Amino acid sequence: MPMKNLIPYFTLGYPNNETLKRFLMAMPLDIINYIEFGFPSNDPRYDGPTIRKTHRIGNENYNENFYFDIFKHFSDNNIKMYSLSYYSDIDDIERFAAILSNLGFSGSIIPDLLIDYYDEAFDVIETLNDMHFEYIPFFTPSTPDNVIKKVSEKTFSWIYYGLQPSTGIDIPYDLDYTCSRIFSLVKSREINFGFGIKTIDDVSELARRGASGVAIGSYLVNMLDKNDVNGFIDYLKMIRGALDVEA
Amino acid sequence: MSEEFKSLLSNDIIPENWYNVTPDLPEPLPPPRDTKTDFSSINLLNKILPKEVLKQEFTFKRYEKIPDEIMEKYLQIGRPTPLIRAKNLEKYLDYNGKIFFKYEGATATGSHKINTAIAQAYYAMEESANGVTTETGAGQWGSATALAASLYNLKSQIFMVRISYEQKPLRKVVMSLYNSNVVPSPSNLTEFGRKILKENPEHPGTLGIGISEAVEYALDHNYRYMVASVMNSALTHQSVIGQESIRQMELLGEFPDVLFGCVGGGSNFGGFAFPFLPKSDDIEIYATTAHEVPKFSKGEYKYDLMDTAGVLPAVRMYSLGADFVPPKIYAGGLRYHGAAPSLSLLINHGRIKSDEVSESEVKDAIKIFANTQGFIIAPESGHAVASAIKYIKNHRNDKKTLLINVSGHGLLDLSIFQ
Repeated sequence: MPMKNLIPYFTLGYPNNETLKRFLMAMPLDIINYIEFGFPSNDPRYDGPTIRKTHRIGNENYNENFYFDIFKHFSDNNIKMYSLSYYSDIDDIERFAAILSNLGFSGSIIPDLLIDYYDEAFDVIETLNDMHFEYIPFFTPSTPDNVIKKVSEKTFSWIYYGLQPSTGIDIPYDLDYTCSRIFSLVKSREINFGFGIKTIDDVSELARRGASGVAIGSYLVNMLDKNDVNGFIDYLKMIRGALDVEA
Repeated sequence: MSEEFKSLLSNDIIPENWYNVTPDLPEPLPPPRDTKTDFSSINLLNKILPKEVLKQEFTFKRYEKIPDEIMEKYLQIGRPTPLIRAKNLEKYLDYNGKIFFKYEGATATGSHKINTAIAQAYYAMEESANGVTTETGAGQWGSATALAASLYNLKSQIFMVRISYEQKPLRKVVMSLYNSNVVPSPSNLTEFGRKILKENPEHPGTLGIGISEAVEYALDHNYRYMVASVMNSALTHQSVIGQESIRQMELLGEFPDVLFGCVGGGSNFGGFAFPFLPKSDDIEIYATTAHEVPKFSKGEYKYDLMDTAGVLPAVRMYSLGADFVPPKIYAGGLRYHGAAPSLSLLINHGRIKSDEVSESEVKDAIKIFANTQGFIIAPESGHAVASAIKYIKNHRNDKKTLLINVSGHGLLDLSIFQ
């Protein structure tokens, strides 16, 4: 079986450019599969308080030029990069995708597109498809069945399934039902889960039920805050281990 | 009692499951959003709502089994409620089609509110909460909460808006009969209430203040906060209304062409109308509000606060603004500034139509209904009947089958006719 995906998430500019660079460059490339970068937004409406904080501070610090070499580092090492971008921040979708492509990004997760801009969503998806830029469908438990089916049919990349209404919070849910629902609606597709995943148990439970991988963001913030690079690496290795057991 | 009437009221009319509309919506339901930078009001729900209610709030499960312990209480408080053909009303209106109404006024507390109160109190009891708490305006929701708590031997603490507490003493008596502790809000029971009273000892209170007090009380006393409407879980519990109606209509060999319901926060309406959505794409559905609270025609479809105090998360809904001060209209249950997100989405999408009626139309409708069918209905429900009467006047020869949700009786609201 292929290796299950570990997808760490970072908001650019948080806690500051230098610290983030240190974390990113220390990350062993053989234990991660993709990397997700949040471009700081003034209105990260579908993020929880922890990630909202990273956007606020990231906004103050973010310097595009600072990250060119870092993006190149991941791109050169075949780690696919995805942006987490809010559609409310995008003025021109073609220009947006072209710029990210030039920076080495493979695609984007746009969490507000299906929720707040549903009428425009399918045109946006078509534009990105034409540009061979991966639109990552972002579904949550609130996404209706017909929308999941329709969007899945129009897209070709992996799917991001958010387990919670926003990141870093902990609303109870039935994991068996959650997994069986999404797997029955979307067959033979890579589905990576995110939102509220932190422990080895969380990861094992998901992997056991057939998840293709996990995205982890909020839980890394504490390590960034403490400048705990070693703890961060150990944590990622533990998660990698949990994913490998189930692969 | 006729055989037909008995079969319409047999125990098996009550559905085995609640119906959740989320997976059947035409577009994704915008999730609740935090409004504060470093604080999650969504996470706050985790601390004040029973876990199972919270789970149902965010679930995409189309059907959720109604636990036996809740089913037993539904039977006890008068479910299934009657579905009756309004033959005299048809005759009075000289209508060539058929009119049916579902009568939620037949429950123990006289309105639909008890359907979700029982469910929420049960889940609070299941996780060993010390009691339940909520706010109430006119007192319908408070009465339902008080009874539901009493049925499960739970304590209940109700914060009743001070002005209503003083003006509607009978509702207070109803709650007290069910052993509830009812206090005027703002109260001395909470820090928030004490702060307001210090600033203005004569403060008349608002629902927003009541919510803040109830939330604080829940956090401090291991109580669970009871949600009256707007939130998805409440609409899901109310789906017993629509599902019973479908079965009762089927037993009569009928299916409605047009549905009418009134909208305050949207729970009676959603519970009544949503179960029909997967059954037919053609059914016409009207959500009626008061002229004085024109949320669908003058409101904006946007993220707004559920409560004026901003304790609960913001949701995307039709709203007149959380600071909208409604006039003291004859139908207190329809004064709410917004409407449930799922209902708002369906209105915005065009699947459900909205209507508004005036106070005189509502009072006329209540009188007509009382004199033709005998039931004195709640002023809120009078909006649905008024809307149906208006519809009939414009579609006299269509021979359509109409179904109206009468969400409650009006026996404690007679002062509107004085």
